[in-house]
Amino acid sequence: MQNLFDYFFSIERQRIKLLARAPQGPIKEFLKVPFPDPQQSLAKTPILAVDFETTGLNAKQDKLLSVGYVNINNGLIKLGTSQHSIITSAGEMSKENVIIHQITDSEKAKGSQLEQVVSQLLTDLAGKAMLVHYANIEKSFLQQACMELYGMAPVWPIIDTLALAKKQFDRQQKHYHPSQLRLVNLRADYNLPAHHEHNALNDAIATGELLLALMRHYPQGLHTPLQQFLV
Amino acid sequence: MSTEMADIHDFVKAIEPFNQLADEVIGQVISHISICYVRAGEALPPPGIEQPHVYFLRKGALAYYNGEGELLGKFGEGDICTVFCNNIDERHLKVIPEEDTLLCAIDYQQLQQVIKDYPYVLAFFMDSAAQRLQHKVASINEEAIMSSTLMNTSIGDFYHAPAVTIDEQQSIQQAAKKMTELGFSCLMVLAEGQLAGIVTDKDLRRRCIAEGVDFARPVSEIMTTDLQLIDINHSAYDALTQMTSQHIHHLPVTKNGQLAGMITVTDLMNQEGLNAVNMTSTIGKASSVSELAKIALLLPRLQIRMAKLGTTADHVGKTISAITGSFTMRLIAMAKQEFGPAPVPFAWLAAGSQARQEQFAHSDQDNALIISDDMQPEDDVWFAQLATFVCDGLAACGFIYCPGNVMATNAEWRQPARVWGQYFDKWITQPEPLALMHSSVFFDLNTVCGDASLLTNVRANMLAKTKTNTLFIAHLSGNALKLRPPLGFFRDFVLIANGKHKKTLDLKHNGIAPIVDLARIYALSEGITAVNTIERLRLAAGTPSLSTPAAANLIDAYEFLGMLRVEHQVQQLQANVEADNYLAPKEISRLEREHLKDAFKVIKSMQSNRQTTYS
Repeated sequence: MQNLFDYFFSIERQRIKLLARAPQGPIKEFLKVPFPDPQQSLAKTPILAVDFETTGLNAKQDKLLSVGYVNINNGLIKLGTSQHSIITSAGEMSKENVIIHQITDSEKAKGSQLEQVVSQLLTDLAGKAMLVHYANIEKSFLQQACMELYGMAPVWPIIDTLALAKKQFDRQQKHYHPSQLRLVNLRADYNLPAHHEHNALNDAIATGELLLALMRHYPQGLHTPLQQFLV
Repeated sequence: MSTEMADIHDFVKAIEPFNQLADEVIGQVISHISICYVRAGEALPPPGIEQPHVYFLRKGALAYYNGEGELLGKFGEGDICTVFCNNIDERHLKVIPEEDTLLCAIDYQQLQQVIKDYPYVLAFFMDSAAQRLQHKVASINEEAIMSSTLMNTSIGDFYHAPAVTIDEQQSIQQAAKKMTELGFSCLMVLAEGQLAGIVTDKDLRRRCIAEGVDFARPVSEIMTTDLQLIDINHSAYDALTQMTSQHIHHLPVTKNGQLAGMITVTDLMNQEGLNAVNMTSTIGKASSVSELAKIALLLPRLQIRMAKLGTTADHVGKTISAITGSFTMRLIAMAKQEFGPAPVPFAWLAAGSQARQEQFAHSDQDNALIISDDMQPEDDVWFAQLATFVCDGLAACGFIYCPGNVMATNAEWRQPARVWGQYFDKWITQPEPLALMHSSVFFDLNTVCGDASLLTNVRANMLAKTKTNTLFIAHLSGNALKLRPPLGFFRDFVLIANGKHKKTLDLKHNGIAPIVDLARIYALSEGITAVNTIERLRLAAGTPSLSTPAAANLIDAYEFLGMLRVEHQVQQLQANVEADNYLAPKEISRLEREHLKDAFKVIKSMQSNRQTTYS
């Protein structure tokens, strides 16, 4: 517990340090807003559930295809705040990607520029905890995009439902297959309805619902301090 | 806001009445949704929701209770929980998840704003159970009217005008001459220019020739004065119902209260092919029980046809009851041919659903005989023979023997008027719950054939007593409250009072019968002679027993339940399965389930009124 606490404080310290050398623009604006207090309850923490669809797992080689996100306030997923953006990029999409993500080249062509999407995401993320399922993807792709666009990547307080679910398996000393940690399988485990996978917004909402279902492991529910959920 | 939310969009779109909204309106509904997750046992609304919200269940189960902790109903996946909407009497309700539950919550005010251009959808949330039911029944009745040819046809389209009349001073022979010249089977008789009666072929035969009356006598001596009239603005269907229920073949037509013409059964037959009128007419011509039995095979088909035409349950019941009456009349005529004329006047009575004109194909027979007090002990042999012949004949026609032995073959129910009077006295002045339960069928009687005055007198005496006997009414009410409607539905089950589930809803015992029982109580308390449930409710409306709006609500509930029953039985009859009253929730849409719940609510509230009045 104390370790987590310290880790978070180091993130808040990193924010202040990074702010000092951040260039004018979206990164600086993002870093200006303090991160949520880790002592405060999850109910009081503004959360943004985020999901990326990408052409692969490697942030250096693969491309960001689409971004979906939605706000969670006081345990309520606010569908009216949801955003879904498809990113225009020069390269043609592989057939495989068209099938999985159901985004065609023509749709992609009508999409937004990467810079536009990332800067909007940073604005909407300011002062919030970022909720994702399997943090590595969103974290690495967002870092990579920021490096390319602004020459610098900030840090984010992250809640990862995959890590939280894994913790429960470990705590109960249960044997599990890694595939059981997939969003779709965890949702079934937690008795949540089936959802359309591989659409960034649907997956973001699905992740938000999974977080709410995971609350059953916390006796204080939404009143549990944020720090217990942070990566 | 993005339109990419396929999951939520599909979910909302599948919920009635939202399936009627345009996609962009559903998009607006979604933009106001907060998804929340409530743990089992934690009461709604969840923290963070202060204003009244409507909840759509995506996963899990909710149960709701009244202030006393009594279970009122449950919601499952795809249900809409409207408990927190503006209905004031529902505000003290508690809603508690029985399982961890995923909900889409939407602010009720905002929802109203979004769907303001969809009054029908809005009504689902704003109206009371009774109001929703009223809209539904009104639309069913409209469809029925739209789809039936007879209902589409106004009497004004095919009646005979001008009225063919004869003055009452004219002789019987002059009347016969006029009818022959014009090729009419019926004339209207005027006294000082006003309609005084009608004279038909049948009157000439029965009242003149058979009786040896001098045909130089005035026609007024053989005319029928007990006149049924119909206004020109009624539909052909109304005329049919009136004729079949009164067993008459001619109806004078009035326009603005003035005599305008005449319609006959033949006119109606020409309006439609296989139908009730045709069937009645073939029954009248049948010369043996086996011929009647063949005609009776058409009865289920007639019920199917009527249901397909969108006929209301009320009309189906009246028609089938009238046809059963025709079978009975024909059988009585055959019995008379076999056993000779009746020794003393009598009336053949229908009891229960046939008397109430609420009978469907495949019902059992309930009947009785009321005989003139001039009856001598030895006369009973004739009546016993008649009863056996008619009851066996009805059984051959598919009306199974009454399991409770309420039939004229049972000597107990084949008695002179005086004994019937004693029966009713005993039931009313020394009421016992069990005896009353068995005898309730006799409080719904009507004359199928014979001397109607026998029953009229017994009934008048009976009603004079029921009106004043509160203990009797209290016992009757106690019995009526034993049949309770269920709470509603949960997933694909019927949810009953103790929170248990049943696979099917017994439409008859848990829906229709409670209303029939209530209507009977109102009628007996208020001295109303009608036995048909809807007529009883209409006549009781505005009396101390029943307020006008409550009567309207019960009629709506009754019609809706009747419609579901007709549709359910048509499915079975078409599949060649014996028709029953057990409706599986899967057979009906979500919206129909909501309407059924509304009907249950109406019944429940009227039953509670009874309980507070008489317990």
